[in-house]
Amino acid sequence: MKQILYLLGLLLLCSCNLEKDIDVDLPNHTPQLVVECYLVPGEPYRATVLESSGYFDAPVPPLVPSAQVTILKNGRPLNLTYRPVLHEASGRYFTHSSRDIVSTKPGDVFELRVTDAAGRKLSGFTKVLPVVPIEAVEWKFNDKNKAYLLMSFQDDPNAVNYYRYMTHRDSLSSGSDRDFNLNDNLTNGKRISVGSAYDYEEGDTLIVSLFHLEPAYYEYLNSVDEAKDANGNPFAQPSLIRSSVQGGIGIFTNIALDRKRVILTR
Amino acid sequence: MYVLHLLAWLLLVCAVQRPALAQTTYRISGTVTSATTGEALVGATVAVPGLQAGSITNQVGAYSVNLPAGDHTLQVTYIGFEPLARTITVSSNAQRQNLSLQPASNQLQEVEVETNSLTQKLNDNRMSVERLSSREAKLLPALFGEVDLIKTLQLKPGVQSGGEGASGLYVRGGSSDQNLVLLDDAVIYNPSHLFGFFSVFNPDAVEDVELYKAGFPAEFGGRLSSVVDVKLREGNKDSLVVSGGLGLISSRLTVEGPLVKDKSSFILSGRRTYVDVFTRQFNRISEDKEDYSPIPDYYFYDFNAKLNYKLSDKDNLYFSGYYGRDFFSFSDDDFAFGFEWGNTMASLRWQHKFSDRLYANTMLSTTGYKYTVDNKLDVFNVSLTSDILDYTLESNFDLFLDGGHTVRFGAKAIQHSFTVGRLNFNSAENPDQDFSAGSDYEGTEFGVYASDDFEVSPFLSLNYGLRFSGFVNNGKLFTALEPRASAKYNLSETVSIKASYANMMQYVHLVANSGASLPTDVWYPSTGYVKPQRSQQVAAGISKLFADGKFLVTNEVYYKWMRRQIDFRDGANLFVNDNIEQEFLFGKGESYGNEIYFEKIKGRTTGWLGYTLSWTYRTFEGINNGNRFPTRYDRRHDINLVVLHQLNKRISLTGAFVYGTGNAFSLPVARFPFQDVEGKSPTIVPIFTERNGFRLASYHRLDLGLVLKLKPKRGEADLTFSAYNAYNRRNPYFVYFEQAKEDPQNEERITGFQAKQVSLFPVIPSVTYNFKF
Repeated sequence: MKQILYLLGLLLLCSCNLEKDIDVDLPNHTPQLVVECYLVPGEPYRATVLESSGYFDAPVPPLVPSAQVTILKNGRPLNLTYRPVLHEASGRYFTHSSRDIVSTKPGDVFELRVTDAAGRKLSGFTKVLPVVPIEAVEWKFNDKNKAYLLMSFQDDPNAVNYYRYMTHRDSLSSGSDRDFNLNDNLTNGKRISVGSAYDYEEGDTLIVSLFHLEPAYYEYLNSVDEAKDANGNPFAQPSLIRSSVQGGIGIFTNIALDRKRVILTR
Repeated sequence: MYVLHLLAWLLLVCAVQRPALAQTTYRISGTVTSATTGEALVGATVAVPGLQAGSITNQVGAYSVNLPAGDHTLQVTYIGFEPLARTITVSSNAQRQNLSLQPASNQLQEVEVETNSLTQKLNDNRMSVERLSSREAKLLPALFGEVDLIKTLQLKPGVQSGGEGASGLYVRGGSSDQNLVLLDDAVIYNPSHLFGFFSVFNPDAVEDVELYKAGFPAEFGGRLSSVVDVKLREGNKDSLVVSGGLGLISSRLTVEGPLVKDKSSFILSGRRTYVDVFTRQFNRISEDKEDYSPIPDYYFYDFNAKLNYKLSDKDNLYFSGYYGRDFFSFSDDDFAFGFEWGNTMASLRWQHKFSDRLYANTMLSTTGYKYTVDNKLDVFNVSLTSDILDYTLESNFDLFLDGGHTVRFGAKAIQHSFTVGRLNFNSAENPDQDFSAGSDYEGTEFGVYASDDFEVSPFLSLNYGLRFSGFVNNGKLFTALEPRASAKYNLSETVSIKASYANMMQYVHLVANSGASLPTDVWYPSTGYVKPQRSQQVAAGISKLFADGKFLVTNEVYYKWMRRQIDFRDGANLFVNDNIEQEFLFGKGESYGNEIYFEKIKGRTTGWLGYTLSWTYRTFEGINNGNRFPTRYDRRHDINLVVLHQLNKRISLTGAFVYGTGNAFSLPVARFPFQDVEGKSPTIVPIFTERNGFRLASYHRLDLGLVLKLKPKRGEADLTFSAYNAYNRRNPYFVYFEQAKEDPQNEERITGFQAKQVSLFPVIPSVTYNFKF
């Protein structure tokens, strides 16, 4: 598909100066709660609760100060405090947090509950998945001193599994170099390798991450990609956001992650 | 229901206005051929206007009309030929009259000749049929100068294009995969090149195309919405002729001539684009530049061939073939990507004349469509292939009976083989990681039919038929009865009313999740889960001739119901999926509208004006919250104006203006920020609610053309100039929303959001040189 779009892009390029600003009247939008809450073992409980905006609304942070966030671990509640903060180490913004540290083991069930003064209620569940270890990170140079990267792991044949693969250069705070989601539909029980093009050079520091995803997280990530793609791709069908939560939009999931840092040498 | 009432009323008028005249008639039959090449002229009109009696020649050029005793004038017309009038005296049964037509002497006259047949169009008991010859299409301006019969059909009422410059046909609310596209009676599965911008039909090889929008004769089956019946030329039977053209995009070359005098002729035609020749050269010049990204390679070519052989006075053999491929690729030292797709078709047809009353036409054909994507990186190879391959055997019979009956009957069987998403991944170093996916299916489709073209009286004619069709896949059998009927009644010599009903089935389905004709769209059979699609259409119309037959105005209304329509769930994976049926959604569709068509004939200025008012909707449980939504190509108002003017003997001018309500389009109404699990700037995620809930700005465009006849020392030549989108209208192709930033250098500071409209083609002038010797 990308190659087709590339060619069509070339056609569009030939027809340069064929873009103009227009006015579009949109219907009124009733804001919905939007949540992002990832349970990262070893880190504090944190969540970002915002609300959706009409597309042409002013670009102000859509905070919901009245939102109350509770996370239940195996039925025991923990309230998160509204304290908007930019977490400098990760570059991420959180609205609610707790000093308690996330501790998980596979099979644990967590529940998220969000309410606000407007009477909106949002809820979701996540069940902790085991980490899938990265078995190998390899690279190979060509005669132009460029290298491709190859990451391998073993898929569990007894479960339907979903993964996310990411590569970052140097640090996690910048955007990822490669990022895509995969499932084991075609590779169930196999040793799976994920490669790259000849994109890297000697001395590059790469951080390779393999996330083991819940199905709902996999669907959410894909639907977010599809929705973004539909805004600007004339051939894409519009996609609704497939949230893992009820009563709003967003994702509540646990992070089952293996990560390796490598420096490419010959 | 309004339409049904109108139809019933029209039929009632038919029944009560004029009783059929009881009179002894005699059958006159024969063939219509080209006087210069000897080719049988298929679809020529043989008529006796004073009696409103007439016949259309069948696939061997044979006709039959029933006339009362006395002197009558047979008028014969055919696109591109001088009309012929022959007076005969009818006194006994089974009189034979073979008729030969001379080719028209100039191009515009050829078009005029076609319009001369408007009287016959008025009296033709078929309705909702549009006919277009290659000669006519060649006069009209075309995008990049590439003459395209399919795109020219888009200028007819009731036919929409999928988008700017696209060659897909959306007929009366049907989607582009619901067209039965036939090339010499064999199916062409993907009739487009270059992602839908050009059709696969080379105008040099094609004689003409007929488009049925409703009232489908019983011999056609397998698609819901239209029949696009393309006929290849047979080739010159008298002398060797070479013709061709040099255009902006492609070049064409055709060779035709006799093989055995009075027995056999052939035509070979090919064309190829040549943008890749320049891009390769450019890449070579620029390869030393740092950071230069080579331009990908793209080209297409196609070949058409037709060979006919007269075995005896009663037997003819025809071979038709098509082979076309598109190639798209790019590569460097370590990486190679290739994408190839195209159709292949071959057919062998035997025509046999049992007697003047009975003709048979038997065809064995194979047709297929295939795409392959190859990706190679170092030791890793990934390839993806899908295809459909058919073997078809069919026999059709024409039986001319006394009493004004022409009976057609026949049978058809198609063996389909489908490969859906065949993926292979392999690594030379780690064969244990190799994997593959994909599914293979088989299916057998069949149809048996009979129909009767019944001239009840000089005023009333009926066509009624029944098709029994079926499909077998993996032990699962689907069958259906498809009744068809149409009627024509002449209220006077200049006014006729027509009505039709057609029930259609479609057993193979296109898996396509976009608004365009992409080469990666694959065909899928009916299965226990994916049931056949079905449609019903009623149509009624009235035609009136003005000014001694110089003008014809036709108004038609139609209503179409469609069941078991197919769409796909959000996020469907249609490329590599062994459980692709899980992605299907099933729903229903409806389309209704009114088409007005005004044709001007004779004189130095000719042309047509069409206006369509229409509505097209789909309803799916899993889309748009189960609410009805308009399709992208739902177009409330659609206007087409085509004018051809012969300035003098050497210059003809043409113009085409189109106007259409903007396409229905989905836009997000809201947004939310998404940070993701790892640090980076939040991204904006659009929230879509309603499917196709917005309208793009209206579409309008003027194309201008000029054909200048040259005077070469030998043969004929012309220069064809075109200006597509002459007044440079920025027609909307799509709309998207963009973040407005205060400082483009500082991507963090979003100041607002702005809607942007993207257009595809500005004014595009082109010139094509055509020759023939």
